[in-house]
Amino acid sequence: MAPLKLTPDIVSQADLTRLNRELDSLDDFFVSAKARPAGSPIAPPKLSRALEALAKENAVNLLDEKNRQTLADQLAAVYKEAPNFHISFAVEASPKSLERILVWMRQSVHPQLLLQVGLQPTIAAGCVLRTTNKVFDMSLRARLNSQTEYLAALIKESVDGR
Amino acid sequence: MNTGGLILIVGSLAAAAAAFIWLAFKIQNGPPAKGRKELIADAAAEDVEHIFNDDFREELRNRGRLHFEKVINDNAVFLQQDLRNTTTQLNEYMRSEITRTLQEEFKKYEQSINDAKQLAMESIQKTVATIEQQRQFLEQQIKAQSTAQEERIVARFEAEMAGIFNHYIVKAIGNQIDLSDQLDFILGELEANKQAILEDIKHGAS
Repeated sequence: MAPLKLTPDIVSQADLTRLNRELDSLDDFFVSAKARPAGSPIAPPKLSRALEALAKENAVNLLDEKNRQTLADQLAAVYKEAPNFHISFAVEASPKSLERILVWMRQSVHPQLLLQVGLQPTIAAGCVLRTTNKVFDMSLRARLNSQTEYLAALIKESVDGR
Repeated sequence: MNTGGLILIVGSLAAAAAAFIWLAFKIQNGPPAKGRKELIADAAAEDVEHIFNDDFREELRNRGRLHFEKVINDNAVFLQQDLRNTTTQLNEYMRSEITRTLQEEFKKYEQSINDAKQLAMESIQKTVATIEQQRQFLEQQIKAQSTAQEERIVARFEAEMAGIFNHYIVKAIGNQIDLSDQLDFILGELEANKQAILEDIKHGAS
């Protein structure tokens, strides 16, 4: 079985949980549809764009119970096994920007990588990435901290040259 | 005593002797109505009374008084001279003694002053040396403290500098920089740390 391809709409474990709930509600719909008498009007649940895109990307027929079950299992596996990073930005991340970052991570690091996005205004700019065992401070604050000697030299030049 | 007086006295004595001799000679050749010795004694007494009469005695007394006064005056002059000489010598002696004593006392006083001065100088020199040592010690301490304080301030400034700039940047630009503006920077940083991230995933949860 091919590994599940996650779409950029699916960012975090919360998204996976939501997709699982959607699949559950879809299952419930089909169970209730079977129980209803034929010809009675029913309204199918509205699927999210993320689930539709996921189903399309992975060629999953959501009308098929087995396919849904397989998808649910794969989502649970991803939830359990996929690397889950935490990334913080200085400002609220726009979906488009976040998608670019996520795409890069899934291409470069792991295809099923999940991100938990946070907000940390004190970092000024850039991001702070917390992986399983490490923290990668890629913020402007860290950059400034690493450049203290240069800053000190600049200030010293300014003071000496007065 | 002048020469006239002396001649008068000598003349008187010579006349008395001549009269005595004449009388003795006459008694030896005359009738011995009385005893010879008695006659001589009577004649001598009469001549003595005749020669040394009251005027003569008064004259002799006056002359003796004058002579005594003269001797007294002469001795008084000598005594006065001696007294003057003695007074002068005594003055000289007293002066020299007083001068010598004063000089000795002054020398002692000067010596005492010099000793006191020397002691004071030594004491002042010691005090100055001690003060100088204290000053140098204080100077070193102040320099060390100043340097340490300066180093502390610089170190603290350097430690806080990045934070200060960061705070300033956050305050200055805040939310003005959108994440899309930072994407190139973030992706560049991710790319730079890509290997480390992959290594971390490979090792899994620790």
